[in-house]
Amino acid sequence: MGAIFKFFASLRLTVVLLALSMVLIFFGTLDQVEYGIWHTQKLYFESFLVVWSYPEQWLYYDKLFWFHLPMPGGYLLGGLLFVNLLAAHFTRFKLTFRKSGIFLVHFGLVLLLVSELLTDLVSQESQMPVDEGGRSNYSQAVRENELVFIDRSDPEHDTVHSIPASLLKPGKRINVPDTPLSIRTVRYFPNSNVGRAQAPVADNLADSGAAVKMNIVATPTEVTYAESEINTATAYVEVSGPDGILGTWLVSNVIDERFPPQTVTLDEQSWEMALRFTRHYYPFEIELIDFKHDKYPGTEIPFNFSSEVMVHHEDEFKDQKALIYMNHPLRYEGLTFYQASFANQDKTSIFQVVRNPGWILPYISVLLMGLGMCVQFGMHFFKFLGKRSH
Amino acid sequence: MIRSSIFAIAVLLGLTGCEKAEPVTYTIPKEERSVAMPGPAAEQNVPAAGDSQMRVLPGMEEAAQAAPELSYQVPDAWEEFPPQSVRKANFRVSDENGSAEIAVTVFPGDVGGQLANINRWRGQIGLDPIDAKSMPQVTRPYSISNHSGILIDLQGAEQSILGGLLSFHGSTWFFKMQGATGTVASQAEAMEAFLSSVQIEDDHH
Repeated sequence: MGAIFKFFASLRLTVVLLALSMVLIFFGTLDQVEYGIWHTQKLYFESFLVVWSYPEQWLYYDKLFWFHLPMPGGYLLGGLLFVNLLAAHFTRFKLTFRKSGIFLVHFGLVLLLVSELLTDLVSQESQMPVDEGGRSNYSQAVRENELVFIDRSDPEHDTVHSIPASLLKPGKRINVPDTPLSIRTVRYFPNSNVGRAQAPVADNLADSGAAVKMNIVATPTEVTYAESEINTATAYVEVSGPDGILGTWLVSNVIDERFPPQTVTLDEQSWEMALRFTRHYYPFEIELIDFKHDKYPGTEIPFNFSSEVMVHHEDEFKDQKALIYMNHPLRYEGLTFYQASFANQDKTSIFQVVRNPGWILPYISVLLMGLGMCVQFGMHFFKFLGKRSH
Repeated sequence: MIRSSIFAIAVLLGLTGCEKAEPVTYTIPKEERSVAMPGPAAEQNVPAAGDSQMRVLPGMEEAAQAAPELSYQVPDAWEEFPPQSVRKANFRVSDENGSAEIAVTVFPGDVGGQLANINRWRGQIGLDPIDAKSMPQVTRPYSISNHSGILIDLQGAEQSILGGLLSFHGSTWFFKMQGATGTVASQAEAMEAFLSSVQIEDDHH
């Protein structure tokens, strides 16, 4: 047991872990060209193990295609560094006034590691497009999908029963929460081509809804990781009531609100059924008053993007007007709204909406580390000055 | 000391495992839908083609672009707009009664058949669906581009539709004038003249 603890506390482990971190960052940066930032981050830094493969575009791929390099992922390295730091601290470190600066630096570092993990685990990023003069009370995560059953029978509100698309595993039966319905995924395509078949399809997996009426079929295609592209998630879903199967529907995030809704009916009740980008609803609406896309005079080069917004909260006292532009996001109710993009000939502004409960931690940790360094170097400096004056 | 390290690892591993997705139910303020939710009786009204409200599926546009070209004579009062998306031709006409839009679209297959499409159009101007027996009351045979098609006359209270439907070598062509009932009535002759002038490029003969 002592040996294990000694191993975890060793400085050698620190050096090895830091070296491996550099290797991970190096190969992660290489793969970013292929997979984009979002996927690379998941693959390399939010994982325990990652395998780097020799890229197809590189020279001599035909000879080196077999080359795969497994390496520890960000969670493993970060976790071990965290343990290493704590263990080293407990074995070697004795808190004295002279070492208080080092203690602060280490404490800041621990806080930074924890905050990074927290950000990975609990932060949410989504997008909110708003038209000029329009309002929105939800944002959508364009990399995640949800299968929803919406009950619009109540005149006061709509009830959404949502199943994350990550649970749509073929063959698996899932109860739709708070309804008598259950679903079984027949097929799920993370990305697909959805279109109308030239001729009626004999073996169409769907027997209800738009797929039958409009002769729509889906064929799977490779998942894209490009920043500017989205995946057309599609599923064939069999819906059952208490007395048996009601039918199989084709749902897809391109069969969206511009289509008449697909409905599932059981006795007197009906639900709209759709696969869509995962939505996050808020108790307020963002109204886009004006979007400005300023350019340098006489050129098409953008100079500034800004959105003048009014936040209408359910509680009127919380209404707020704001101007969102580069490096000046709106922080509101634990969310941060950044100016991310625009569309529709400058008539639609797209905000990146980030919920990160731990956003303050990195600031505190950097402050602690800075303070620790000042204390440590300050003490040395004054000691040095004292020696000189003698 | 060791205990605290093991605890730290356990916490780390535990935290990474808590990102588990679960089905949930929540309520939202009433949403306004741009496309009306069809009741059971209106199930037949689901757009099959040529509905300007409908988002164009990938593949539909390609099919429209791959369709043969057509030529026609534009009636005097009509204003022509460039073709867009799945529309092969686009016109608008206005008079003292109001205005009407004329669109030419083409889709592969029979798009649900004549009756389904007639009922879909009926639904768009607030008319109840009809059955196959009643079809002769609103249609008559009409030759378009030397092929046998049908002329469809649907008169609603405010909006009407006058249109041509043509099966043409595995595709279905829709010629649809929709607008104020008075305008559509006054443009009936012009619409028929337009349909008679249509020539679709035909490499099957």
